[in-house]
Amino acid sequence: MKPIMAYIRRDEWSPYVAGILLGIVGVLAVWLSNSLLGASGAFETMAGMIGKALSPELFNTMYFNYIMPPEITSGVILLIGIFFGGMLGAATSGTLKWGKKDAANSDAQWKQIFGQQTWKRWAVAFVGAIILEYAAGIAGGCTSGLAISGGMLLAPAAFLFIAGMFASGIITAMIVYRKRY
Amino acid sequence: MSTSIVVIALFLGVFFGFALNKAGLTKYHKIVNVFRLTDLAVLKFMMTALIVSMSGLYLLRGLGLVTFPTIPATYIAGNVIGGLIFGVGMALSGFCPGTCAAGAGEGKLDYIVPGLFGFLVGAALYGLTYQYVFPAISAIANVGNVVIPDLWNLSPFLVVLFFTLMSLFLFYLIDRAGLHRTDRG
Repeated sequence: MKPIMAYIRRDEWSPYVAGILLGIVGVLAVWLSNSLLGASGAFETMAGMIGKALSPELFNTMYFNYIMPPEITSGVILLIGIFFGGMLGAATSGTLKWGKKDAANSDAQWKQIFGQQTWKRWAVAFVGAIILEYAAGIAGGCTSGLAISGGMLLAPAAFLFIAGMFASGIITAMIVYRKRY
Repeated sequence: MSTSIVVIALFLGVFFGFALNKAGLTKYHKIVNVFRLTDLAVLKFMMTALIVSMSGLYLLRGLGLVTFPTIPATYIAGNVIGGLIFGVGMALSGFCPGTCAAGAGEGKLDYIVPGLFGFLVGAALYGLTYQYVFPAISAIANVGNVVIPDLWNLSPFLVVLFFTLMSLFLFYLIDRAGLHRTDRG
């Protein structure tokens, strides 16, 4: 029991062990609730809810009325679970960032390459997030909803998405890191 | 939504987020370094998850214990173009929608503020332009909600076996033969 507890408390697991856990979660999603894991769809639902509260006319579209109607879906609950799962993981290894000094610009490698300024990290992260969510819409899902969930069902869409993601991710990293790639 | 669905979704989400945290995917450098090819943990994590889940699901379906939910649709141009744009966002931000939610739970402000807010803005932009973009792009080379074994008339067992052997060979190359770049900082 003790070595298991010690392993759980580690900051980082072997990617193979963590991968097995994710694989089991993927199977359970289908087995227990006949659903798939996902994350980007929940943001669409929530954007519709917030949008309809702020500007009902603008968000009175076919998409926000019928395709992603403004109601709490199981995807939104799942996303809330992911939030608390990340919290639990960091809590077991004592690496929670709540209230810590480096919470705003959280990664050492980023700071080493791009500097200490928080605004720079936030600007790039914000633009990146918009691109990610828009791209997930076009592709039909994100890394969890399409790459993992589609891949485990052997949907060609997932492998096409993964190929595109790695190709452009590598090129983007080359451009961003230049000599330090 | 029934209580049991809420409980199951919450349970699945917690273990999902926990796995993302323990795999190190809630860290900017883990995600970016897979694209720099200096640390392939993300690839190992994803492929291991796929081996376990595809074996489990096709086994359970073979035993008649599960039926598959709606298969994510394959429309070749959209899946590839979406993936290409997605990779740009991922290499810039160092997260994706799922890992950002988990990292937000850890208390990382660069995940909570620009991350979550950026996804909501991106989602609103997508929803508002949906009718001009999606119907056109998803009509190109659309093969529908299919899986590879049905599409190419292959035994699912062979496809899963092929994916597993290919992944194990790749893991061997990475871990034993050192197939990755070294970070020169």
